[in-house]
Amino acid sequence: MSFFGFDSSHPPSGRNNNRHGKKNEKPLDFDDTYGGYDEEENDYLNSETFGADVELGNDFDFGHGESAPQQQPQQPIANHRSYVAAASQSIAHSHPNQMDPNADLKPMESLWTASQPQQQAPPHQGQVLSMEEIERQQRQMQMHPQGVPPPQGFTSGPAQNFNQMPPPPQVYQQQLPIPQQNNDGQFTNQYNPRMGPPGMGQPIPGQYQQMQPMFNQPPPHPQQQYPQMYPTPPQTYQDIPLQYQAPPPPQQQPLQGQANQPQHPIANMPNASQSPSTFPPQSQPNDFELQPAMNLRQPSQQTQSSSTPTPQSINSPMAQENARASPQLDNRILTESPRNISRQNQNQGQSSRANTKQSQQRREPMTPEEQKRLQIRHAKVEKILKHSGVMTPRDKDFITRYQLSQIVTDDPYNEDFYFQVYKIILRGGIAGESNKGLIARAYLEHSGHRLGGRYKRADIALQRMQSQVEKAVTVAKERPQKNKDHSGENSGREGVLGKISSSMNSKAPRRQLLIPTPKSNEDLLNSEDTTRESTNDSTTPALEEVTQHLGNVEINQKSKTRRRSSYAFSSIDQNSVLSRSGGRKFVLSQIETVYEEVLELEANLRSGKEIDSTLLWEALHIDDDAYEVCPFISMLSFDKGVKIMPRIFNFLNKEQKLKLLQTFFSELSHLNIIIISSYKTNPSPSDSQLKKIDLFQTVFLKIIVSFLSNNSNFVEIMGLLLHLIKNNNVSFISTSKIGLNLITVLISRAALIRQDSNRSNVLSSPEISAWNEIYDKLFTSLESKLSSIFPPPEYTEKVVKIMVMEQHAGPIESIFYDQSYIWQFLASLALSGKLNHQRIIIDEVRDQIFGTINVAEDLIKNVPSDDKSNAIYRREKLYQDLNLFLNVMGLVSRDGEISELK
Amino acid sequence: MSLETPLDLLKLNLDEKVYVKLRGARSLTGTLQAFDSHCNIVLSDAVETIYELEDGDLKSTERQSEMIFVRGDTVTLITTPEEE
Repeated sequence: MSFFGFDSSHPPSGRNNNRHGKKNEKPLDFDDTYGGYDEEENDYLNSETFGADVELGNDFDFGHGESAPQQQPQQPIANHRSYVAAASQSIAHSHPNQMDPNADLKPMESLWTASQPQQQAPPHQGQVLSMEEIERQQRQMQMHPQGVPPPQGFTSGPAQNFNQMPPPPQVYQQQLPIPQQNNDGQFTNQYNPRMGPPGMGQPIPGQYQQMQPMFNQPPPHPQQQYPQMYPTPPQTYQDIPLQYQAPPPPQQQPLQGQANQPQHPIANMPNASQSPSTFPPQSQPNDFELQPAMNLRQPSQQTQSSSTPTPQSINSPMAQENARASPQLDNRILTESPRNISRQNQNQGQSSRANTKQSQQRREPMTPEEQKRLQIRHAKVEKILKHSGVMTPRDKDFITRYQLSQIVTDDPYNEDFYFQVYKIILRGGIAGESNKGLIARAYLEHSGHRLGGRYKRADIALQRMQSQVEKAVTVAKERPQKNKDHSGENSGREGVLGKISSSMNSKAPRRQLLIPTPKSNEDLLNSEDTTRESTNDSTTPALEEVTQHLGNVEINQKSKTRRRSSYAFSSIDQNSVLSRSGGRKFVLSQIETVYEEVLELEANLRSGKEIDSTLLWEALHIDDDAYEVCPFISMLSFDKGVKIMPRIFNFLNKEQKLKLLQTFFSELSHLNIIIISSYKTNPSPSDSQLKKIDLFQTVFLKIIVSFLSNNSNFVEIMGLLLHLIKNNNVSFISTSKIGLNLITVLISRAALIRQDSNRSNVLSSPEISAWNEIYDKLFTSLESKLSSIFPPPEYTEKVVKIMVMEQHAGPIESIFYDQSYIWQFLASLALSGKLNHQRIIIDEVRDQIFGTINVAEDLIKNVPSDDKSNAIYRREKLYQDLNLFLNVMGLVSRDGEISELK
Repeated sequence: MSLETPLDLLKLNLDEKVYVKLRGARSLTGTLQAFDSHCNIVLSDAVETIYELEDGDLKSTERQSEMIFVRGDTVTLITTPEEE
């Protein structure tokens, strides 16, 4: 039995006791403190959490809550109350006392346990108690404390409080992560009318303010509110406050449920009606019921919102309310005259009764204004409460952490994209139009960690270079040892017998000798070629291994006796290429042979005879190593050679087709069409050449695409790409439209298969790593030359001029150089690449991106209205092409600006 | 295919640009589409150049034809055109 009439005996308070005892030693652990209670509570909460009773959690419609109290057991409320009281009491006392560590923190067992039996009864009665009964009970309770000798009570009070002191802070801690509840809205609103009034009944302003600083989170507006709430305090009420204020929390203990609640409403009826945050205006008669209902809901809401539902958390709202409210009351009591407490307790019964009566009377006169205000306030509170508790503290924690993590950076200047944009906005004033371009530019330049901007790139290039140097050094270190092991004597002959391939093992056996040739003009190129090949051998053993692993793809081009130049400038002269592949006459006669064979095969096909394509295959001279340039490649430099290709393909089996394409990609540099379609080697194309390009595109590219999409698997495509990369000057090929188209076809097909395979998981990891290696190789050969895939304006102008000359009919303005193939290439390149690849691509073609946007915007600026539709069409086309590429990056350009793709 | 007859050489240039010299100071450049043993030829995208001597000056006029049949008895020479 406590000094304050505090019901220490009831089950929850028993736990309280336990809790306090523990709390003294170490921080509270939910599981420890709440043993069994926890479990059953969990079940109850589970059903709630998982939707068994959704309404319970979030719906705070107080206006319709009357039924709740009856449905809900009263016991929990009482439990909360006791906690609350304990918390409030303790916090109130602890603060003034500065939490003296020397104080006796041991709970007084007798106080808690002795009265237990007495306290068992009330809970059950609680539900049916009438006003009078409640009051009687209360008085009875107060009699008990009186029975206790005042000194003892007085001393025990503080002791108890010290014991109880920990919980409130704990409660606070628990609640802190729930800002709405702590800071404003809910709690203050709830507590003000209910709890506040008892404490504040007749606030003494000075003390009030004194008290406030003592709490971390004082109710936000007690000062404003209370004066408002008690504009004309009744005389009696004014007399009572002191006596009344202190006891409430303790007094609540003995009373269960309803018995508890009424006291406040009754005492505070005037307040309640004036401060409607918790009480709906129309529910005045039911106030008692409402409050329990609210209490019930609060806990439930609390548990829903909290990730670790425990009794503690259930109680906490109440406890907090009390903790908030009581400090003020209790402290005041303490500061005023602690000795009064007992007297106050004695008077308590009387005063509360008086209050009850008074409040009942006072309830009648309520002006419409007041009601209106009440309603408004009520609506406000409901609004606030509506979404409270939707997020758990953990959620909020997570979000906070997440947000904070965005701020953390090693390089705030360059990585703080938002600041950069903000800076631009500031600089450009509020007028948005002109800023948009700047912002887009800033995005590309600074684009954070994802794509990397101008500033990041240098580091990466440096890093890459460093790693390459490192690799080179280690390779160099390893090499001499290998030579000693396997071919020590060979190294001595280096230079005498030509260049001796250094890497020799079972996987890479000794290669042909590379005898230095007299440096004639053409042979110089050849030797360059061979050395290049040999460097390929030594630097990319892994790649070779992979390609060997690829099985049917044979990469051993260098084992061929045919010496080939990969450098285009020796192939610029068509006659030279032809002469190296047997001469024009030879090639033309081969074409005729092929035609004859094809015609015969077609005749056989029509007559249903057996088809044997060996002769045709021989006529193609694919395997023919006798010539420097494969005759087949030379055949393709004639229109008729190109035209016959689809018919040839009809009669070739898959292996033959693959071989044909391998040869084709290996010797792409010799292909006449590449040379005439490159702005570098053919800066001013003729009409007939453009027609040739067109023909090749429509005929041969189609074959390749259909072969790639129908017949070939991933490994084969990789093999083709490897052929292309290993044996050609990729950066030169990429300057030609056809070459770029061919590369695009290969990598986009590979990307497509890769995406398909992602779903069905067909690709093996060596395949993927091989692909990555090949892609890296391709990218390295293109890197820093990416901007050169864009033909210069002079070239495009010439092309357009020729096209205009050709196309006599039709509007001349509608003819323009179609750059879509370039954007297609960049798009597929970016699609297959990783982020840093994309970053490099963007970095290199940034000027072209903005150039294209500018062109597109200029198109509609100074164009007479009659050409408008054409200009708009062209503009759309430009954006379409550009977006092909930008979309891969998750960007989109529109109306002169670049934004993120949604 | 094997090159056995002189006209086989002509066959190699099918679908290629050829230069045809004709009697009467005329020449033709075009894509060889067809020919026969009489050297009758069919050219596409042909440009006919007619040379005239007018007051001691050599004048030439050109005529374009999409497709042209040339009777073989006027053909004096067929070769590949000079590189442009």
